[in-house]
Amino acid sequence: MDISIALILGQDGITNGAIYALLALALVLVFAVTRVIFIQQGEFVAYGALTLAMMQGGSVPATVWLLLAMGVLVTLFDGAAALRSGQARKALGVAGWNLAYPLALAGLFAVVPVASLPLFAHVVLTLAIVVPMGPMMYRLMYQPIASAPVLILLIVSVALHIAMVGLGLLFFGAEGQRTPAFSEASFDLGPLLITGQTLWVLVVSALLIVALYQFFERTLYGKALRATAINRVGAQLMGISPALAGKLTFLLAAFIGALSGVLIAPITTIYYDTGFLIALKGFVAAIIGGLASYPLAALGALAVGLLEAFASFWASAYKEVIVFTLIIPVLLWRSLSTHHVEEEE
Amino acid sequence: MSADRLLLGGFLAVLLVLPAVLSPYYITLLNYIGLYAMVALGLVLLTGVGGLTSFGQAAFVGLGAYTTAALTTAAELPGWLAWVGASPWLTLVAGLLITATVALVLGSLTLKLSGHFLPLGTIAWGISLYFLFGTMESLGGHTGITGIPPIELFGWTLDEGGEIYYLIWAFLLVAMLTTHNLLDSREGRAIRALKGGRVMAEAMGVDTSRARMIIFIIAALHACAAGWLYAHMQRFVNPTPFGVHIGIEYLFMAVLGGAGYVWGAIVGAGVITVLKQWLQDWLPQLLGASGNFEMIVFGILMVLVLHRAREGLWPILKKLVPVPAVRKKIDDAAAPLPRRTLPAAGEPILVAKNVTRKFGGLVANNDMSLEVRAGEILALIGPNGAGKSTMFNQISGVDTPTSGEVLFLGKPVAGHDSREIARMGMSRSFQHVKLLPTMSVLENVAIGAHLRSGKGVLSSAWRLDRAEEARILKEAAWQIERVGLKDFMYEEAGSLALGQQRILEIARALCADPCLLLLDEPAAGLRLKEKQALGELLRKLRSEGMATLIVEHDMDFVMGLVDRVVVMEFGQKIAEGLPDEIQKNPAVLEAYLGGVE
Amino acid sequence: MKLRRTLLATIGLAFAATAAQAEIKVGVVLSATGPAASLGIPERNTVSLLPATIGGEPVRYIVLDDASDTTTAVKNARKLVAEDKVDVLVGSTTSPASLAMIDVAAETQTPMISMAASARIVAPMDDKKRWIFKTPQNDKQMASAIIEHMSANKVKTVSFIGFANAYGEGWHEQFKQLAEGAGIRIVANERFNPADTSVTGQALKLMSAKPDAVFIAGSGTPAALPQKTLRERGYKGPVYQTHGVANNDFLRICGKDCEGTLLPVGPVQMARSLPDSNPVRASALAYVEKYEAANGAGTVSSFGAYAWDAGVLLEAAAPNALKAAKPGTAEFRAALRDALESVKEVAGATGIYSMSADDHLGLDERSRVMIEIRNGTWSLLK
Repeated sequence: MDISIALILGQDGITNGAIYALLALALVLVFAVTRVIFIQQGEFVAYGALTLAMMQGGSVPATVWLLLAMGVLVTLFDGAAALRSGQARKALGVAGWNLAYPLALAGLFAVVPVASLPLFAHVVLTLAIVVPMGPMMYRLMYQPIASAPVLILLIVSVALHIAMVGLGLLFFGAEGQRTPAFSEASFDLGPLLITGQTLWVLVVSALLIVALYQFFERTLYGKALRATAINRVGAQLMGISPALAGKLTFLLAAFIGALSGVLIAPITTIYYDTGFLIALKGFVAAIIGGLASYPLAALGALAVGLLEAFASFWASAYKEVIVFTLIIPVLLWRSLSTHHVEEEE
Repeated sequence: MSADRLLLGGFLAVLLVLPAVLSPYYITLLNYIGLYAMVALGLVLLTGVGGLTSFGQAAFVGLGAYTTAALTTAAELPGWLAWVGASPWLTLVAGLLITATVALVLGSLTLKLSGHFLPLGTIAWGISLYFLFGTMESLGGHTGITGIPPIELFGWTLDEGGEIYYLIWAFLLVAMLTTHNLLDSREGRAIRALKGGRVMAEAMGVDTSRARMIIFIIAALHACAAGWLYAHMQRFVNPTPFGVHIGIEYLFMAVLGGAGYVWGAIVGAGVITVLKQWLQDWLPQLLGASGNFEMIVFGILMVLVLHRAREGLWPILKKLVPVPAVRKKIDDAAAPLPRRTLPAAGEPILVAKNVTRKFGGLVANNDMSLEVRAGEILALIGPNGAGKSTMFNQISGVDTPTSGEVLFLGKPVAGHDSREIARMGMSRSFQHVKLLPTMSVLENVAIGAHLRSGKGVLSSAWRLDRAEEARILKEAAWQIERVGLKDFMYEEAGSLALGQQRILEIARALCADPCLLLLDEPAAGLRLKEKQALGELLRKLRSEGMATLIVEHDMDFVMGLVDRVVVMEFGQKIAEGLPDEIQKNPAVLEAYLGGVE
Repeated sequence: MKLRRTLLATIGLAFAATAAQAEIKVGVVLSATGPAASLGIPERNTVSLLPATIGGEPVRYIVLDDASDTTTAVKNARKLVAEDKVDVLVGSTTSPASLAMIDVAAETQTPMISMAASARIVAPMDDKKRWIFKTPQNDKQMASAIIEHMSANKVKTVSFIGFANAYGEGWHEQFKQLAEGAGIRIVANERFNPADTSVTGQALKLMSAKPDAVFIAGSGTPAALPQKTLRERGYKGPVYQTHGVANNDFLRICGKDCEGTLLPVGPVQMARSLPDSNPVRASALAYVEKYEAANGAGTVSSFGAYAWDAGVLLEAAAPNALKAAKPGTAEFRAALRDALESVKEVAGATGIYSMSADDHLGLDERSRVMIEIRNGTWSLLK
């Protein structure tokens, strides 16, 4: 291996690592606030990329109907509860967000020919469709069992992962999709070829990380989430609703997932079942961060990306074996250096 | 015959005649259910009971399957190996040995992982082993190995579904029986204690690392045996049935059936296997054959089930068929457990010399000295934040002093783990009650006798431990009676009032036959009557020569009971003496009341 | 088990009403979900186009999905044989699943037609494989076309990259054997997962061996990623692919990076461009038109053709078997097996089938042509 190959591999590893880092941050956030191990994070990546690809292909993305279906269910549950307790205005609000909004989106697609819209509008629409599924999913699937043990929450995640992959196959088909790059620009830097899209990935990841930091440090909601992550009961006593915290977290996680999907769709081919392995690597990074530390998780993500890039050069047949075997010592080190906390169950 | 025996007998009879009644395809399904249940059973032990989540069981199934597949189909084995390939039964032994070795290595690497690191560790080696199966050309690569011979048993060739059915279910029933026996034994209580908290288990003398390794290996061996049966039933192996997705599915089965219950394994495996079949039959009728809706409906159904039944399905099924719980019989004729000879009254048992403990800049204990003698009760009191709990930790060996030393029976406590200290005769209760809420009071107390008995996993599994078990239960029952919880002996420990739970902890500590009893706020949450009874008990123990150290807030309780008092404030000893003297000591009054007006 | 009713996904549902005892039941196992879904879905779509009557008897097709998993494939095969009493099994999509089903077919003496590539499914012939037939060309036949083309174009060194699964493995095995015979050296041998998001490492390794050509053994859209990466990294040499990529999704994903890609395909892909003299043209075209009428223009792929040819074989063999016995009997299954084995010069979408006791594939060189991707579409090499 010469230096130029090492540089190229490094660049490749960092690009992938940036995506893993975003996912790792979302996983850490979701776990800290809700104790849910968010396996479906990867499906949000795939849904984001494939929804965009469907619009690029000129058809109405099938995910709109899923959003509508979820919205109807949420409206039924929450709206009925609000009506029963005589809060008509609240019921109206619930219906507004969960019913009127998806309907409005569906209406938009009925009126405006999808193919005529520019790429940027497609990206915005993709996020508008996929991101609200996060909080709706929390409301429907996790809120009723928010106090269950971690193992049960994990199994629910696995079940939802299976269902989402099945839906993905139904919506998008088995073949892969690729979307056009945000920018066709590319320039050489020594042996490196830097494409505009790579820059997009790196810059957006960095911006997002900074924005998240600001959100947690500066805003009221951010602080509320942090408080919930540190002490769930305490935060509840202080008037922070765990349901709200959960929904907010899932909103952020879904946003990060869908955005990651949109970002990498031009670099690689995305399939309905791509999400699992990507999320698994984000999960590895998150665990390296102890499911608690954001900076360590981000570093872990870069390490996983780099390890993967170099392993695929040295021994591609054994790539996964190498990546997953080498994390065991890291886990051991993390495990021994983390203050031992008795499991809560 | 009791109702549960009757049900069990009925179940076995049904199993026996099923092949004659059902169509061959449903026998095939039952075969798969049996295999899955065996793996799920390992997970019940590992995850449901022991609290260790594993995604990697499918890899162990693969080890069992690949060992036998490779050995029985190899055209030419090296001479020293050739005899193994001669019969599937020998390859079963080989597979079990290999699996045990691999599990030992993986376990020693990953079981040290705490909390959420462990599940990821299992995913890691699960994926690694899966890709290794696929990458090694000698194992047929991704395409797989064909032509695996059927199993022969007493001249019978088990090459049809209806024949191997009996073998699979015999394996499963034996595995269930031994698991059931194991859980209902000394080792079983130690395993069940893992989930409740390792600190308590260690304080009772349980080697929790060993217990974790044991259940990890047992679960791996169950999976390996299932893999062996799978290979000879399918007569073909390739890597796909041993991937992480399938590993997750096994966990799924265990949790859905009821991860804490032996029967949950069958229920989970059965429900998932049959449900998938039905979905495959019904959904195309309902929704058309153009798409595949099985995964979607399956996933959502699973979520709905878990919403309604967090403990899994087995507890719900159990309620449908009310079988009165069988109470453990206490055999009064059982020989008592051996007891240690207590030191003569007045002999110093515990000596703390100039103990200082610093946390960074904070001095939690400063130059603390105290002494507990046989046949006396010493109280350690002080206002909140005085450093009593830190001192308690130094004495019980949970923490190590920065300087100074603690001697127990003349030997330093520092450098010994909780287990050794327990073995030496120190037994404790906890400030925040640590017990296993779903186990009965009797079984909770019996954990205390862990070190006074010695039957291991194999004797437990095959019920060779019953004489010793009777002695343990008799001892536990006696201690329960002694502390006044006799009426609650068969209740779940979690259903007791907090005060009673504290008393239960004392009974558990006594069950260890200690010579020094460390009690951390035993009177908190007790009513007056209960306090009086507790006082009586402690006095009686004192008269038998027991040394007791009490950390307590309740002045009235302490002053009427104890022989001497040590008072702490700001990490230091500010007074020591008889209760009467302490009550008049101005420094103590200052500390407690903020000065005398 | 009170729900032991067999409610089935039947394409010939209309015939269920008139279900005589003489109905021929075909049990189809394929991978409509899971990693092999992109192969299994066109097969599933094709099953609905298969003949509804053969030799005057109605045919019922029962389709089950194995989720690309061998255990499920075997479970499904057992179900079809035991519950539905099918006369013939068709499937499965992948080689491992087909290999796993051999025991079921042999044990129950049911003929089986596999839609998977590996030559191991039907060779070497033995007591069990007597019952097994298959429709796709062996990897070897396809690989030999590539080798011939390479030799003719003076390619001496090749970098190989294949899927890290049975597909890539099978191709590597066959390709290596043939390459050695032709004096072509494999200078790099890499693997990638269909779901990988980056193959930069492998691509660099392939290029650093400075080969005369690169050969990518993958199926469907995932096979585009290595080629795009190679082009992005500046590799200018020729790239060979397998027939597994021959669908329009691949062209859409790969775009201009795939200009000049060389690959062997079955006649079905090129049906419209084949000269009228080609013996497979008519039969291939028949399938293409039928499939595209149902699923849209440009949707046809080689994999669906394998399912189609299973139907073609049955249509050729079953009438003979019907003369010997009634469907639903062991005699019929045995007769069907014999009839399949004696099929001669039957034109399917993939080629001309001529079976014999030793050859249960029966395809020859007429079952493949070399093509090139030119101007974003497939075109025949002269």
